[in-house]
Amino acid sequence: MRAFARRIVSSQETGLVLVLVLLTITLAALAGSHPDRETGATINNFWNSHTLIQTATDASFFAIMAIGATVVIISGGIDLSVGSIYALAGVTMALVLRSLGPMSDASTTLAGLAVAVGVGLLCGLLNGVLVVGLRVHPFIVTLGTMWMLRGVAFVATKAESILVPSALTAVTKAPLGLGGGLYPVPMISMVVLTVIGAVYLSRTVMGRHIFAFGGSIEASRFSGLALNRIQIGVYAVSGLTAGFAAFLGASFYGSSSSGDAQGYELYVIASAVVGGASLIGGKGSALGATLGALLIVLIRQSIRTLHLDQNYEWIVIGCAIIVAVVIDQWSTRLTARRLSRATT
Amino acid sequence: MEHTAHREAPEPRDDMTESAVRFEGISKFFPGVQALSDVTLEVASGSCHALCGENGAGKSTLGKILSGIYMPDGGRLFVHGREVHFDSPRDALAAGVGMVHQELAFCDNLSVAENLCLGALPSRRGLVVRDEMERRARTMLAEIDPALDVRRRVGELTIAQQQLVQIAAAVGSGARIIVFDEPTSSLSHHEAERLFELIGRLKQRGVTCIYVSHRMPEVFSLCDTVTVLRDGRHVDTRPTAQITEADIVRMMIGRPLAEYFPTHDSSARGEEVLRAERLTSAGRFEDVSFALRAGEVVGLAGLQGAGRSEVAGALFGLEHLESGSIYVRGVRARIDDAGDAIRYGIGLVPEDRKRQGLVLSETALHNTSLPTLRRFSRLSWIFRAEERRATTVLFDRLRVRTSSLDAPVAGLSGGNQQKVVLAKWLAARPSVLILDEPTRGVDVGAKAEIHALIGELAKNGTAILVISSELPELLTLSDGILVLREGRLVGELSRAEASQEGLLRLMAGLT
Repeated sequence: MRAFARRIVSSQETGLVLVLVLLTITLAALAGSHPDRETGATINNFWNSHTLIQTATDASFFAIMAIGATVVIISGGIDLSVGSIYALAGVTMALVLRSLGPMSDASTTLAGLAVAVGVGLLCGLLNGVLVVGLRVHPFIVTLGTMWMLRGVAFVATKAESILVPSALTAVTKAPLGLGGGLYPVPMISMVVLTVIGAVYLSRTVMGRHIFAFGGSIEASRFSGLALNRIQIGVYAVSGLTAGFAAFLGASFYGSSSSGDAQGYELYVIASAVVGGASLIGGKGSALGATLGALLIVLIRQSIRTLHLDQNYEWIVIGCAIIVAVVIDQWSTRLTARRLSRATT
Repeated sequence: MEHTAHREAPEPRDDMTESAVRFEGISKFFPGVQALSDVTLEVASGSCHALCGENGAGKSTLGKILSGIYMPDGGRLFVHGREVHFDSPRDALAAGVGMVHQELAFCDNLSVAENLCLGALPSRRGLVVRDEMERRARTMLAEIDPALDVRRRVGELTIAQQQLVQIAAAVGSGARIIVFDEPTSSLSHHEAERLFELIGRLKQRGVTCIYVSHRMPEVFSLCDTVTVLRDGRHVDTRPTAQITEADIVRMMIGRPLAEYFPTHDSSARGEEVLRAERLTSAGRFEDVSFALRAGEVVGLAGLQGAGRSEVAGALFGLEHLESGSIYVRGVRARIDDAGDAIRYGIGLVPEDRKRQGLVLSETALHNTSLPTLRRFSRLSWIFRAEERRATTVLFDRLRVRTSSLDAPVAGLSGGNQQKVVLAKWLAARPSVLILDEPTRGVDVGAKAEIHALIGELAKNGTAILVISSELPELLTLSDGILVLREGRLVGELSRAEASQEGLLRLMAGLT
């Protein structure tokens, strides 16, 4: 029991949870309140189910992609193309469903999911094969595919926004018994994918190999790991999560265009890094990525809730990212020192 | 400097002005190794002084202390009679001490001129004055290699030319003492001749040369005085005229074999497990053939750069083979990467533990199970309890504290790190285990345990190939010893035939 408690306290994510809780309490305390239109009860401007679920929904699309990005970053790589994969997967899904015409709701939804995730996976595989085959740094490869894939989406749609069948929207906006204009599906998807990501990274051979690869390519080679397969795999996972996020996002908002998710790659990488992933490789977690995405969205939300000037949003987020990473590095160094004292 | 570490030392005597360098009670520790202990010696001004010893005897370390790369943990250092404390190579250079490194230390992407002037680029209003820089570089090179184009990038030069540039950097900045750290290890015969000529000219100009090498012919043709180091201690310093090669070799070895542990009974040899036939990789090794039998320990001896690790790498699929073939249990094996080698039952404990052997950011448990994870998993799902149980058994057997299972390996001692690498390969239960410098940087206790383990593995039928720079280690462990020189197999000795002196002669190419 004490060992368990110690593991909780010393774990990488505890600090992030603490910051999130503090920020939530502060926001709830400072947000003020308003009377409910129907019942007249006092409602906190931040601490109410609508705002909270809205914040989580905003975070879910980043968070899901950030889990994929974390997998790439743990391997020592980087994926700048996730925003473009999102756009291409979204518009391909919308175009395919439009050309397939009316079907039953269930088959429409499944076809949409298959197309979005499939396109995401293929784009990820393309990134991986280019990185491995051309021996070019992933920053360059994914910078290239970032423009290429968005360009393909642009040409395919002739820059138009394509409507997504309402059957998909009905699924992603299913109230699941909550009612009152609350849509928990993206949030639940985020939680489920975080669990899957965490299990993938910590309990599977593939996850273990990704950590080893990112920690030392040389030692992994000497241990007989299939290096190319690992490297292609991480970009495939990243593309897969972007495709799934595109399915959720395009269905949720009811349409898709080649301009979707512009600039998401940076939010996604920021989430992963705030969540403790190290750009050198060998370190990171799925839970951290989700918490990082939540933190960034919460900071953005706090500007609205506290009625601060929205023009300062980027400045605040930029500062927050640097501060978060610096704090993370300090705590890592402290832990390392404590460990080295404990062993000597 | 740690003044507390000083022992009582006499004040500099008057005749100290005669010596260019004086080491007084110099000691240096590295984690797990005492590289130098209480070394006292004098280098006469204007002489060429050889530092000899086996690999790991401390000769390079001594040179690096003189040139400011390492700081001694104890003792005093005098240059031209004045006590000095070098914190960096820059300090040493300012005091007139330069070094020509074994591993070259240049920015490959910059030009010769830029490298030569890097410490003090001539500039006007913050911009580099290119003409002035090139003029200075040409002046520095004038005497050494006037034909060299100073605008060429250093990366394009041959190793020999790069060494000349290093020498120019040292001489050009006014160094009166130059340390050469095994300068011929990567030179062709012809290039080496040019280097010797240059050293001759430097001597004529009164420059003091300290020549670190274990190649006897060079020592005798170049040097006036020779100092032999062994296990970090000063053995003797003599004029080369009053000593023979055999004397030096004897002093370099000089260690009673009795301190080593007797190993397994070599009579229990089984069938042939691995056969290498005419392995060739241009520029690394050529025409290397040998066989390993079950239960046999074969040593692989050679000087640094003789191609020992490369041959091992070839067996393990890490080195590209131009020709030649490998047979495992009589069947020709296709080994393109380490994964293939592992499937053929081959394991390799690599030379560079921290870079090749371990993922430092991971725990001891995860490192140990890395090559064998499939055994503890189904459909990629890891059964962690099984993994932990199997690893605990190995750690108990190797006497690694199991409390370190979940510690990052970066924090473990050298000996324990090496045991983790060994555990990793024991888990794979290889039929052929290659050990490249298995006890380097490991303390005496762990070393004995590793030796015992090698004997035990052989007894249980593993075929073992051991690479070691420590000849006594090879002699006690091996049933037979293969000797490599410059990438070629030059000898195959049985345990009865092998002696340290004989091996050293074969390795160095003495007749």
